[in-house]
Amino acid sequence: MALLLDEIAWSEPLLAADPDPAWTAELKRRGAHVFEVDRRVAASPWLREAAYSVTSYVPSEISERQLHMGAMIIAQENACRYCYGANRAYMKVLGYSESFIQNIERDVHVAEMDAKERAAIAFCRNLSRSRPRPARDTIDQLVGLGFTRLQVNEMAFLIAFGCFYNRLATLMACPPERSFEAMANGPVGRLLGLVVPLWGRLTHAGARRASTDVPLEATALKAGPFGSVVALLAGLPAARIMKAALDGAFDLPLISRPAKALMFAVVARTLDCGYCEGEAAQLLADEGVDAAEFDIAMDTLGSTRLRPDENAMVAWTRETVSYETAAIQRQTRSLGAGLNRAVLLEAIGVAALANATVRLAMLRE
Amino acid sequence: MLLGSAVAGYAWTLRAQRRQLERLLDAADAKLERLQRQFERFVPSDLVERLTDVGDELKPARRYVTILFADLRGFTALCDRLDPAVTVDILNGYFGHMIEAITQHHGHVTELVGDGLLALFGALQPNPWQARDAVLSALAMRSALARYNQTLLARQLPELRFGIGIHAGEVIAGIIGTGALSKFSVTGDPINVASRVEGLTSAMQVDLLITEVIRDRLGDDFDLAPMPATLVKGKAAPIRTWTVRADAVR
Repeated sequence: MALLLDEIAWSEPLLAADPDPAWTAELKRRGAHVFEVDRRVAASPWLREAAYSVTSYVPSEISERQLHMGAMIIAQENACRYCYGANRAYMKVLGYSESFIQNIERDVHVAEMDAKERAAIAFCRNLSRSRPRPARDTIDQLVGLGFTRLQVNEMAFLIAFGCFYNRLATLMACPPERSFEAMANGPVGRLLGLVVPLWGRLTHAGARRASTDVPLEATALKAGPFGSVVALLAGLPAARIMKAALDGAFDLPLISRPAKALMFAVVARTLDCGYCEGEAAQLLADEGVDAAEFDIAMDTLGSTRLRPDENAMVAWTRETVSYETAAIQRQTRSLGAGLNRAVLLEAIGVAALANATVRLAMLRE
Repeated sequence: MLLGSAVAGYAWTLRAQRRQLERLLDAADAKLERLQRQFERFVPSDLVERLTDVGDELKPARRYVTILFADLRGFTALCDRLDPAVTVDILNGYFGHMIEAITQHHGHVTELVGDGLLALFGALQPNPWQARDAVLSALAMRSALARYNQTLLARQLPELRFGIGIHAGEVIAGIIGTGALSKFSVTGDPINVASRVEGLTSAMQVDLLITEVIRDRLGDDFDLAPMPATLVKGKAAPIRTWTVRADAVR
């Protein structure tokens, strides 16, 4: 059952803020707000870019309304107090009424939505949960309701990366953006809720900000870890983001490449994604781990090839797929007791990215 | 002006009706939530959620599951000596510790019968690590029982001892029973084998036994000791078992 905001148990932060002045300046130069998450991931080059990409993403295919509703629903499904509170507050500022927000968070059937929007929200819930992962007919159903394949792909990316960001915030127990929430729920928020939609109509009138990035070629997308999953996003600005995150995560040496591949394989097996498990096995084969050794590592959730702390990460990664918030924060605290800050941050990032990648791979099936 | 008053009156009525509907919805929502929370005391929360979300899609199915049977030794004799309220208090404390150890390792307790319990791994969701989870559960139960015994001794109450049997195999899982009395449960030969293996712990003077199918799925991470193959009721060939001496080693 999806929880409401005040029902989510949330621990004290697992990682203290560790802002990097240069990165803070860079975010400001890009016109971005510096969030509590940004202050905690600044030390990891790939992770900070990925986190920024989530909060600054401008959809090219789906509507802003779908983006906002989806982000809140995914955060609610993942019981992420940080993201749920922030997204809910953001919706208020954007002019969504409290009753509309309550309706979609309690029961999508009573919200003022058409069949397409209801199906999109159901897709958000199902792919976030992935118990079991949505099947091929889910995509067919969405296409049957009038979504283009590219729209479905962009939705899947946003759900997957929503799950990524929710896990980052949850596993770090990032403190909620309470001042923003208070502002959005107070008189200033109500005023903004009237002005912002009007301002939006006057200024963009539905126009989209086109991405200035040149789309990457299919061959470039396919190169690198889980390239075939990245290639599913061809034609979307999301492709570059996904590729940068995966390449960056596998390049950073804080956690060995076999350990990271095994973390991905564990998420893949938990979510019954044979394709991603095969990709992870191939990455391990490139590191000299043969099929027999891979099988043993998967059966025992670890390998003699890995450091003891890496074995602990592999076993913990399994718990990040479906969790009860208080329990996963306890388990992450326990994992972090034996790790330095940089390694724990990297483990959190890799586990979150593995969850996103395997959920996105559903588009292949 | 008359038309204006009529429109205003109609709008006011609509608004009042909408508020009433919203109150009704809130009340129904709160009631459903209370019902779900109460229901979760009797069946696993995952199952409650699935029943709420998918309705009748939870059809009986064949599933490969790992079964853990645990039973207290000599507890019936103990019951005769103790006050009934104390007996129930001891049992409740014991079950509390055991259920926590099991749920922390992805299992769920499906039956409490007297002083025995049946836990399943992989029955509600596919679980590729179910054998390992069951053994880790049993080891956690062993530690939890040792801690619980300390509190019993402090209250000058007798220590508890248990036997655990673990086996795996294909069973039929589903809602079993009639409309008046039904529950999520499993049935099949592996359940009987797990129960028989638990029964062997007493004769072999160990607290935990696993069968060959479990041992084959564990790898080299556990400190196991083979026990003599034994014939059990309902089986033509003797069953090979191992006791688990220690936690995962790595």
